[in-house]
Amino acid sequence: MEKVRRNKIAICLFMLPAVVLFAMIIIIPIFMSSYYSLLDWDGITKGVFVGLDNFKELFTSKSAGFPKTIKNAMLLAVLSTFIQLPISLFFAIILGKGVKGEKFYVAVFFIPVLISTTVIGQLWLKIYNPDYGIVNAGLKFLGLDNLTHVWLGEQDTALFAVFIPILWQYVGYHMLLMYAGVKSISTELREAAKIDGATEWGIARYVTIPLLKPIIRICVIFAVTGSLKAFDLIYVLTNGGPAHASEVPSTLMVSMIFGRNRYGLGSAIALMIIFLCFFFAILIRKLFKTEEVE
Amino acid sequence: MKKNLKKLLAVLLSTTMIFSLSACGGNKTDEAKDESNNGAVEETTDEKDEEIGLTLWSIATESDAFNNAYTKAIADYEAAHPGTKITHETFENESYKTKIKSAVAANELPDLFYTWGGGFSKSFVESGKVLPLDQYYTDEFKAQLSTAALNNATYGGKLYGSTYTTPVSALFYNRAMFDKYGLKAPTTWDEFKNVCQTFLDNDITPIGISVKDTWVLAMTHDAFTLKSAGPDKTAKAITKNGVSYNDPDFLASAQKIKELVDMGAFIEGATGLSNDEASANFYNGTVPMYITGSWMGGSILTDAPNPDDFDVAPIPVINGDNAKITDFMGGAADTIMVSNATKYPDAAGNAVFELTRSISKYAYLDGAGIAAWQVDYDDSSVNPITKKVAEYATGATSFTLWFDTLMDANDAGEYLALLQELYIGNLTPEEFVEAMAAQLEG
Amino acid sequence: MKTKKFKLGRFIITIVLVFWAIIQLFPLYWMFTFSLKDNSEIFGANIIGLPHNWIWENYTTALTKGNVGLYFFNSIVVTGLTIALTTIAALMATYALTRMVWKGRKAANNIFMLGLTVPIHAAILPVFIILRNLRMTNSYQSLIIPYSAFALAMAIMISSSFIESIPKELEEAACIDGCGVYGIFGRIILPLMKPALATISIFVFLQAWNELMFAVIFISDSKYRTLSVGIQTLSGSYTTDWGPIGAALVIATFPTLIVYSLMSGRIQESLVMGAVKG
Repeated sequence: MEKVRRNKIAICLFMLPAVVLFAMIIIIPIFMSSYYSLLDWDGITKGVFVGLDNFKELFTSKSAGFPKTIKNAMLLAVLSTFIQLPISLFFAIILGKGVKGEKFYVAVFFIPVLISTTVIGQLWLKIYNPDYGIVNAGLKFLGLDNLTHVWLGEQDTALFAVFIPILWQYVGYHMLLMYAGVKSISTELREAAKIDGATEWGIARYVTIPLLKPIIRICVIFAVTGSLKAFDLIYVLTNGGPAHASEVPSTLMVSMIFGRNRYGLGSAIALMIIFLCFFFAILIRKLFKTEEVE
Repeated sequence: MKKNLKKLLAVLLSTTMIFSLSACGGNKTDEAKDESNNGAVEETTDEKDEEIGLTLWSIATESDAFNNAYTKAIADYEAAHPGTKITHETFENESYKTKIKSAVAANELPDLFYTWGGGFSKSFVESGKVLPLDQYYTDEFKAQLSTAALNNATYGGKLYGSTYTTPVSALFYNRAMFDKYGLKAPTTWDEFKNVCQTFLDNDITPIGISVKDTWVLAMTHDAFTLKSAGPDKTAKAITKNGVSYNDPDFLASAQKIKELVDMGAFIEGATGLSNDEASANFYNGTVPMYITGSWMGGSILTDAPNPDDFDVAPIPVINGDNAKITDFMGGAADTIMVSNATKYPDAAGNAVFELTRSISKYAYLDGAGIAAWQVDYDDSSVNPITKKVAEYATGATSFTLWFDTLMDANDAGEYLALLQELYIGNLTPEEFVEAMAAQLEG
Repeated sequence: MKTKKFKLGRFIITIVLVFWAIIQLFPLYWMFTFSLKDNSEIFGANIIGLPHNWIWENYTTALTKGNVGLYFFNSIVVTGLTIALTTIAALMATYALTRMVWKGRKAANNIFMLGLTVPIHAAILPVFIILRNLRMTNSYQSLIIPYSAFALAMAIMISSSFIESIPKELEEAACIDGCGVYGIFGRIILPLMKPALATISIFVFLQAWNELMFAVIFISDSKYRTLSVGIQTLSGSYTTDWGPIGAALVIATFPTLIVYSLMSGRIQESLVMGAVKG
């Protein structure tokens, strides 16, 4: 068996398609972007080599406001991990345990993920509409007129107003991953725990969740990297506005690259996103590893 | 295996170098080879027997007001030039901006492409990937389309594109609502403010605007600026031509925006509304005024339940010493250009003018846009609002291109961002003007 | 007493589930009604209720103007082949990364995580230049290859977590029976990875089916245009008729729902079966 596992030709063969795809579409572009990030370049005419000026500008320029976008993205990552994932886990465990209509719920809870971002975006625009949106209408109905806001148009509310739909939309996504995990845990284990007198909560806490760790780890990584790269819904709902209040790194990057023709600066933002995502992905893996050792 | 990894890395690095080199231009020969991969023969002056295939990219999607005009113009062209086939590919406006920039960068331009004149296409021309068109702009065309109209497609004294429409900004208003309160279209700032006040006194928000789609706010601010500083000074300041933006006339227009915001003259929640949402409030009679481009004339017909209620007027004058009622924001931004890599420069160079001439005509007859080319046909069927705007355009004493089109992309981005801050109140008009001056001079 | 408490708990859980289900179903209802309205209803007084006039013509418009049939076909080709390519590449790589022994395995595993990190918009120009130099723009593969590459990291992560549950003893037994490495992979691992297959397919499907930017930039010839781009071209530059867009979105979402309901049934079945066997 050892020999089989060390079969070099087989290893190369198995790795080949993935490596080719990956090198071509992911690795080379990262190298290209690294090079671009050192240029003052509009993406079209000849670029001028400026060294690390773009990175300097990112952290010093007030009008770009990059540090703030990182802060916003981190906030989204924290909210995803500590609010969105627990909700997903809760539903995954309940449904995985088997309730009446299990299949129906699993299917329905996933629906927002299936619907195109355009629709989700338009829907939430309506929900937040200052005149006839459900949120303001509800508040007025309850006599709380002074709590109504132009949710997407005020600097204090815009950030949370765009985060809520993002968090909501992907609850089903993580739930499905976790649900698949719960289902792969053999029922006998749970039965055994039940016979030993464990409560539902106890089973979840001491049997299901520990066994779900590999999946939870994946979910946390997806949630954090997804937050750092979040773009679509924010673009539809506020496009980073008003006055950068809901700006995240990706929206800033896109407006720099394609709006303002600052390809060099945009590439520098892209590299920062890549670096942060990679850093957190590795960190999360490490954190989960050390916990397992304990 | 480690060796393998190293080797792989080396290969990757070297390929990267090759790619990045080719990305930064200097691969003309490569380009020329590319273009001949369709098996086409070298171009000859005698093209009569040869099938000529031209590809045209535009944003005239099937639901766009200009689609019909494009389709008819292409049919006309193909009928007049047997053996020529034009393939028309359409793309959605916002993503097209990304697409066209990427296509220029990667040398993937089609023969003919739609773009925006002024600052937007400046880098395209500078990169040498656009064909100069002076030799194709014959006397026949010159007689029907003035050189002045092609100002925004002229870079460094050379002509690079042709246009079909000259939209202008105007004040669209609901005449029925104006009549109800005995109001008339304002021609001066005081009258304008009085109109706003009258509506406010009657619990009507006077002006529809979108700050989220900042170009709508920019249209209003651009127009006020023009009517405060006058065409000459405005153009010089925006194109960094010896006039500082930090000037009382520019400050005045920023103050007008602030004044209107403070009055509550703009629709509530404008910071969160898109143009579609905000203009819906105008069409359905919730707000009586909307400052935007002449294309609204066509939209009123399709989107408003009572199109007859609506009318249009020039933007009121703020400072009569500098500006006239007949000075207009607008001009030919919609441009069709020819790729330098086209296999048929002669055919494409001629087609660009013939096509824009026909599009100009059909679009005007459809009420989609103001004709840029001479109107030598019966236009009695054009809807009254579009016709009225067209008359303004004919009688215009000056055209100033919208700031965000006239400026280069980076300045334009900053301009729109600063406008949002001004509207929200993060910046005072003084700070706004200073920041603009810093951006334009820096 | 205990049963009573049990029942109450169940009742609360049912309420929570039903409540959440209604919230999650709402977008579907909203999308459907929105597809039958005109702009004045969509942006005006009637955003939630049923349409005043049921404008079925929106569907005719979407179908005739949008060239939806062809785009639909293209989307199916692109998405189908992307799923195939991604799963094959990911399963093979996962096996080499988790079960085989070689130096640099951990590093390779980490490098694949880079796939999760690249923001798609930053990659547009580099990938476009690469595809152009390979003479691949304007073709199905100009979308299939980038989509697969971007989905690869996720697919490898998901399948690694599934492969962990396959006992190594199975492989060893097969080895003793004289199976080579390819035999083990083909006859033992692949069949047992079926549940992972369904999960990966769903997630790859989602990415590829809805992707917009690559599809706009890399494809110029409308012969190869995908549905998401097709729907987008229904909007005009200054004003947009949202009704037909809604209709096109309903048409685009429908197959997603069908594929998903098939797949999710599959997942559940295979998972339950796997659990019984394991």
